[in-house]
Amino acid sequence: MTVSPITVCVTGAAGQISYSLLSMLAAGNVFGPEQPVTLHLLEIPPALPALAGVVMELLDGAYPLLHSVTQTADPSIAFADADIAVLVGAFPRRAGMERKDLLQKNLPIFKRQAHALNEHASKHVKVVVVGNPANTNAMVLAAFAPDIPRANISALTRLDHNRTMAQVAARLDVPVQSVAGVCIWGNHSSTQYPDITRATVDNAPVFDKLGGFEIVARDFIPTIQKRGAEVIKARGFSSAMSAASAIADHLRSWVCGEDHIVSMAVPSDGSYGIKEGVFFSFPVRCMGDGVVEIVKGIEIDEFSKRYIDATAEELYAEREEALALLE
Amino acid sequence: MLRTAASNAMRLGASRATRALSTKNADLLPPLKVAVTGAAGQIGYALVMRIASGEMLGKDQLIDLNLIETEAGMSPLRGVMMELEDGAFPLLSSVTATSDLNKGFGDINYAMLVGASPRGPGMERSDLMAANAKIFAEQGKALNTSAAVNAKVLVVGNPANTNALVASENAPDMWEEQFIAMTRLDQSRAQALLAEKAGADVKDVDRVIIWGNHSASQYPDLSHARIGGKWAKSIVKDDKWIKDEFIPRVQKRGAEVISARGASSAASAASAALDTVRDLHLGSGDAWQSNAVVSDGGYGIHKGLWYSVPTICKGDSHFRRVQRLPIDDFSAKMMTATEKELIEERDAVRHLLPGHESKPVSWNVLESLQTSFEEGDMKAVDEIAKELPAQFKKGVKTAKAAA
Repeated sequence: MTVSPITVCVTGAAGQISYSLLSMLAAGNVFGPEQPVTLHLLEIPPALPALAGVVMELLDGAYPLLHSVTQTADPSIAFADADIAVLVGAFPRRAGMERKDLLQKNLPIFKRQAHALNEHASKHVKVVVVGNPANTNAMVLAAFAPDIPRANISALTRLDHNRTMAQVAARLDVPVQSVAGVCIWGNHSSTQYPDITRATVDNAPVFDKLGGFEIVARDFIPTIQKRGAEVIKARGFSSAMSAASAIADHLRSWVCGEDHIVSMAVPSDGSYGIKEGVFFSFPVRCMGDGVVEIVKGIEIDEFSKRYIDATAEELYAEREEALALLE
Repeated sequence: MLRTAASNAMRLGASRATRALSTKNADLLPPLKVAVTGAAGQIGYALVMRIASGEMLGKDQLIDLNLIETEAGMSPLRGVMMELEDGAFPLLSSVTATSDLNKGFGDINYAMLVGASPRGPGMERSDLMAANAKIFAEQGKALNTSAAVNAKVLVVGNPANTNALVASENAPDMWEEQFIAMTRLDQSRAQALLAEKAGADVKDVDRVIIWGNHSASQYPDLSHARIGGKWAKSIVKDDKWIKDEFIPRVQKRGAEVISARGASSAASAASAALDTVRDLHLGSGDAWQSNAVVSDGGYGIHKGLWYSVPTICKGDSHFRRVQRLPIDDFSAKMMTATEKELIEERDAVRHLLPGHESKPVSWNVLESLQTSFEEGDMKAVDEIAKELPAQFKKGVKTAKAAA
């Protein structure tokens, strides 16, 4: 008995991140080797010719699990019956743009997509917002798609989580899968807090080995925050491959479950004093089938509290700005 | 240059992992070494992530990834390494970057030669051949010196078939079958086109064959193709479509993608490379996979050319050619045309291949040469002498003069 395909919609489908992500989706690398996938690819009209080329390459891959591909500039077609939506497309930050400008450009996009998702997607659609400002875009989406349970919307902080795991592993020269206890708090921006105070290697705490509070503040956290820029400097292009890999990990954990605690930006429920109404990255347990639990009861030390408060303040400010712009 | 048992042992010793495997790795197989050249390029970028995720060699197989680039490519390669690190891939045991071929190919089990010299403005095809022959001669030598004894080499960089020939000719201690040029991309493209025409799922299409050169002269052959187990030509009864649309479209698909994307087909090329090595390593049952391997004379193809034929991949990097398929007249013509191009390509680089002086000549050949000479069959003598190194040719000439 064959498994029926799931419909995955990807926006910004002709872009760099999607180029890396789509072959992973088609090859069965995200939802498993038994799960066929139908791809709905959404782009803005100027990018449709490039998207046609991307689709040619998807067909040329002769992927057994790729059931069908649809390419369109129409959200109502793209989101039709979508089980999963990956919102990569967003208005990019140009030089000289303030946060207010970025919000102003993106709010209408995500508002429109919220309507289309609400109208056309499956009732159980899971949406991951990648395009920045991811957390606030997710908040806008949730506000304008009232029929989608808020628990089915998330924003991506898995790349930062993976980068944090990798840095701990690299500094201690251990395999990355022996690292645990790290997480990302807050906004997917420069105020994000990569928390390694409870990091372990093979279940043994390693925060002191990593240098304690001072080194972490001075060196480790800035390294994570500046990693994107470092990659751009070396490659000349932004980090598409690792972002795509993080999206794949996020989706796999969310849908199929995950053994380890990971990081996702989810609707805040008041945990750790974070006010409701924003999408905040927390350490989470993925139980499978879209069930996500914020890990509760972690003791937040003074050091971490400062960072968490700062990123929360930024998110509240973004929320206020967004609400004001939407009036 | 023969490898002694001693140097083998030294190299094996040097490559032993210095970090104890943690208990979490207990279920994983000890690392296989994979080298990728041109790792900072478009195809390399698309390829390395999927290798690291375990798609190519299996989800329980640790991988040591050796990324090889030219000096100019080392800086963007650093960025690729950062991204591989940021991927937090549990199967990636180590990643190294180097422009030193012997370091990069040290004890590798699989080499994927993606990097090649691109066609520059004003470059003739023969210049392109020569530029690449140099690169692949170097790589063949380094592989011969440094690769693991049973390494398999997939040549992706174009002109793939001739590059594989050049590399193999420069690796005299390696079996020719260890070098494979990629035609899987063409096969997948052909499968997709046939599936589209028949309104079938691409996974139900099989036994599409790509014969010959990975170039516009390739012959995508539907003579034996099947859709859902049934003979494809009984479902798609349109010979005109096959000759006028299908074949040219597969041959020119690369240009079609460039025209649409504005860039060449990186993701699908990477996918085909990955499929090729995966099927070699893990096996793909009875499926026919087109691979450009050294011709053993089957189908009347000149021996020693790298010519794409259908193969069956048994796993553990063994394959066998599908032999003695019936070939109709049209197919024979097409297969000869692409063979002709491959002979021309080989002749264009012949002067860059290592001299035959150092190649050993088999005793059987010498015996048949002697026998033909004694029988006075000069035609046979000339035929045999054609393939011999220079000093044998000279000897034959002297002997004939004295006779």
